[in-house]
Amino acid sequence: MVHEAIAATNAIVVLDVPLPGIVWGWIITMNMWAKSIGTGIIFLGFFLLKKYPNETGFIRLPVVAISIVFIHLFLFFTVIDLHQMFRFWHIFFYPHLTSAITIGAWMATGFVGLLFAMAYAIYLKKDEAMYDKFLGWTVLLGIPVTLYTAGLMAESTARELWQMPTESAQMILAALLAGSATMILLGGNKFSDSIKKDLGIILGLSAFSAFILYMAEYIFGGMKAEEVAATLEFIKGGEYTAMFWIGQIMAFIVPMVLVCLSIKKESYYLLKIAAVSALVGLWVAKHVWLVIPQLLNMS
Amino acid sequence: MQLGFLVDLHLCMGCKGCEIACKVENEVPLSTWRLRVKYVDVGSFPETRRTFTPLRCNHCANAPCERICPVSALHYLENGIVNIDKDRCIGCAGCVMACPYGAIYIDPQTQTADKCTYCAHRIASSMMPSCVVACPVEANIFGDLDDPLSNISKYIQQHQGNVQVRKPEKGTDPHHFYVGGGNVQLNPLASFRGEGHNLFNKLTHLPLGGHH
Repeated sequence: MVHEAIAATNAIVVLDVPLPGIVWGWIITMNMWAKSIGTGIIFLGFFLLKKYPNETGFIRLPVVAISIVFIHLFLFFTVIDLHQMFRFWHIFFYPHLTSAITIGAWMATGFVGLLFAMAYAIYLKKDEAMYDKFLGWTVLLGIPVTLYTAGLMAESTARELWQMPTESAQMILAALLAGSATMILLGGNKFSDSIKKDLGIILGLSAFSAFILYMAEYIFGGMKAEEVAATLEFIKGGEYTAMFWIGQIMAFIVPMVLVCLSIKKESYYLLKIAAVSALVGLWVAKHVWLVIPQLLNMS
Repeated sequence: MQLGFLVDLHLCMGCKGCEIACKVENEVPLSTWRLRVKYVDVGSFPETRRTFTPLRCNHCANAPCERICPVSALHYLENGIVNIDKDRCIGCAGCVMACPYGAIYIDPQTQTADKCTYCAHRIASSMMPSCVVACPVEANIFGDLDDPLSNISKYIQQHQGNVQVRKPEKGTDPHHFYVGGGNVQLNPLASFRGEGHNLFNKLTHLPLGGHH
């Protein structure tokens, strides 16, 4: 990896510390992916319950159940990524409030509390009004819970590729993509055509917007810093090129095409394929974006 | 008081005495380094030379590692040192990701983050950092940047225009300076790194351990 070397110096590093390897690897990818589903399903559940209150009442329990499962997967992968996982409680007893990790941990804890309150309301109390009241607060808290990982990436200042504005948009779009895909798979054939169409449009537009952001970084990112240019080399003919494009195609291009076809042909089957492709591809796309800046030598 | 470091790269001869002294003083495990000396070969035969660049934590005034640490394991001492409390560290590696200088690593023995502390324990006992003591040519200059009469302040004054820090564009305000450095030494992207170009090609490294 060389970007500034000139023939006049012909400089070659002959001894330096080796790279520490991938510090944040697949465990963190799982963390981000599971959180996208956990918060995204709440956003989509809120949207459907507001727009189609008479047709979507049955989603209340499965929505909160899916969110609880995936948020706990997110928390599980967060904790096992720690090299000292049994010190996790330090975050609550020695909090450092400039850290996105601390803020995120506190917010995620509140989010889990609200999810259990929703589960209590719908499963034990059978009280839909109470559930809907909690749902509003859960959606509000779900937004910063979704965004805080972007803050964490932005605080990782060594990795120029990750900038808060872009990553914030990517996190929200990932939640909408994963939430709509999960809702499509959850609904089966119980949803009306208009609901299916709405879900398809959200899935397609999320994929389209996220793809534009990735392509914008891919084409123009290298102009903002030499580290970004060097990082992007890993997906421009480098070792992560194939994986990057597999992620882009599965997460964004295939869903966009299939959503268009499904709306044209009124085929819910195609929408389900689009949903599965989006969920699998999102993991791959997130993983590549997480790993490539870590391949850059800092010294 | 604001402690800082300055390395005169004209003087450094790459003996790695500082590296070894640091390893011994701080019991740094195999395959990890708080301080290391990077070698870069420059030029084409017969006009060649080797440059030596000691690299350690920059103890930034605006330290990204301190900001991202969720439990304040990384914290400032009153003398400006960015210190680490290994008993508090949860090993999230946020600091490793945040440091633009690659100065922080996960200690494979304690499974916590670790880095150069300017030998804070020695400073507390009015001793110089071990790397300073070990340097045979006094290339490592350490002292109080707030004191205009300290050796480091005088050195900076005498070498105005030739004092640099690594990656100033990051806005970290490092308290670690270099005299006589150039793009080749201080910019990691300015030199070719290729397989088979290491002085030693069969290095053995301890696995990071834990869950990675």
